[in-house]
Amino acid sequence: MAVSLRSIQNATIVVVLLAIPVVLLRNTAENPHELSAFDRSVRRIGGPLEAAVSYSTSMMGSFFERWFMQARLQDANERLAAENRELAQTLRELAELAEENTQLRRALQMRDRTPADMIPAERVGVDQSPFFRVLNIRIDRGTRFAKPGMAVLSPDGVVGRVDKVFDDYSDVMLVTDARSKIAVEVARNRAQGILHGDSEYGCIVDVPKDYEVEPGDLIQTSGVDELFPKGHPVGRVVEVEQLVGDQQRLHVKPEVRFDRVDVVWVVLAGAPRPDTTEPSQGPSSMGLQPIR
Amino acid sequence: MIRAFTYLIVGWVLIAVGGGLADVFMITVMLPATSVVVLTHIAFSRALPMPLGLALAIALGYLEDLHQGAPIGTLTMAYALAFVALSWAAERLAITGWPTRMLSAFVSVLVVDLLTAAILVALAEPLGLRRDALWTALWDARWHCIATALVAPPVWTLFERLFILLKIQEPAAPDGPSPLGAPR
Repeated sequence: MAVSLRSIQNATIVVVLLAIPVVLLRNTAENPHELSAFDRSVRRIGGPLEAAVSYSTSMMGSFFERWFMQARLQDANERLAAENRELAQTLRELAELAEENTQLRRALQMRDRTPADMIPAERVGVDQSPFFRVLNIRIDRGTRFAKPGMAVLSPDGVVGRVDKVFDDYSDVMLVTDARSKIAVEVARNRAQGILHGDSEYGCIVDVPKDYEVEPGDLIQTSGVDELFPKGHPVGRVVEVEQLVGDQQRLHVKPEVRFDRVDVVWVVLAGAPRPDTTEPSQGPSSMGLQPIR
Repeated sequence: MIRAFTYLIVGWVLIAVGGGLADVFMITVMLPATSVVVLTHIAFSRALPMPLGLALAIALGYLEDLHQGAPIGTLTMAYALAFVALSWAAERLAITGWPTRMLSAFVSVLVVDLLTAAILVALAEPLGLRRDALWTALWDARWHCIATALVAPPVWTLFERLFILLKIQEPAAPDGPSPLGAPR
């Protein structure tokens, strides 16, 4: 078999080329943890290319990832949205419960502070003016528990007096009602007067000019009328009007927000004594005892 | 020379793409050895003289060494020896159609992996490697072979289109695929 010069030349080159990896391996075996200058140069040259390819691949990969994952994300989004709605509803309910809890706690604290006999009542309705002001409220205590004229209190202050009593409910005349009259005093200097309802926005009380009264002064019950327990807040002075003579007129804004009243206390002190001949008609016969 | 340069540049890009895809899709085992497909294409196209093809194989092996963090020279040696074996096979076999391309890529990468394992086992002590870990890694090479076989047809087609585009290869005849491995 004839062997050409070209074949010998090629075989020589192949052997020389095969020696390259042998040399590389020998160098690596001698120092496995260090790159040669040539290796570092190749890496430096290829760095930008590899970075560009990696970046493009990442972009492409993230695009497809987003594309393919979109359906799953949509499902997850819908599930989370439904869960969020449920949690929001639960949160609203909890907030309502917390508010109710706060009101009940305040009502109980007021009961402890007030020495008079009282029974609780829940608001079951309101009458509003055309301007959405509360004119009177209706409570769930009827003839068995309430009598006309009984004082009605809330933790914030005086609400008014029982006006009309029906079988299962009663209407409460608010302190802002023009017919309402309550014995009050200025908490700071004990200047006494009779508080009248002025309008659906507030009340007025006339006191002697001898007493210095300023807007912001607290008006509280004086207890003189023996219907309202002494020292219960009624409202705050918003304006002092000097009248002709020795009187000054105080314009009072009630402490109670009538549109936010849920639970009130009916003071039994002003109630007629129960008829002893028919004990089953009184509150105690219903399992309700006056609260001290 | 343009063909050789194209093999080198595209092979380098493919190596980088493989690493990038592995990073994006968090694949660690089933990574295709696209450079081995290039090696197979070089050998079976028989368009380059043996010394130039071997030089390309050494260059691709060296780039793989750098990319994979293998001891420098390991894959270089494996690629060089595998190319010699593939060139010998190309004298006797022709590749037509995607099944044979896949098969050739599968066998090529298997040869490369076996050669790499053999080199590493032989040099385990000077390189500070554990031989038992090498045997475990060799078993995982089956995924490497399958992945490489799967990417072989597209890589093969890429080179054919590229060479036609660069006018260094004639388009395939309309009645069938262009056979590789025809006698020079």
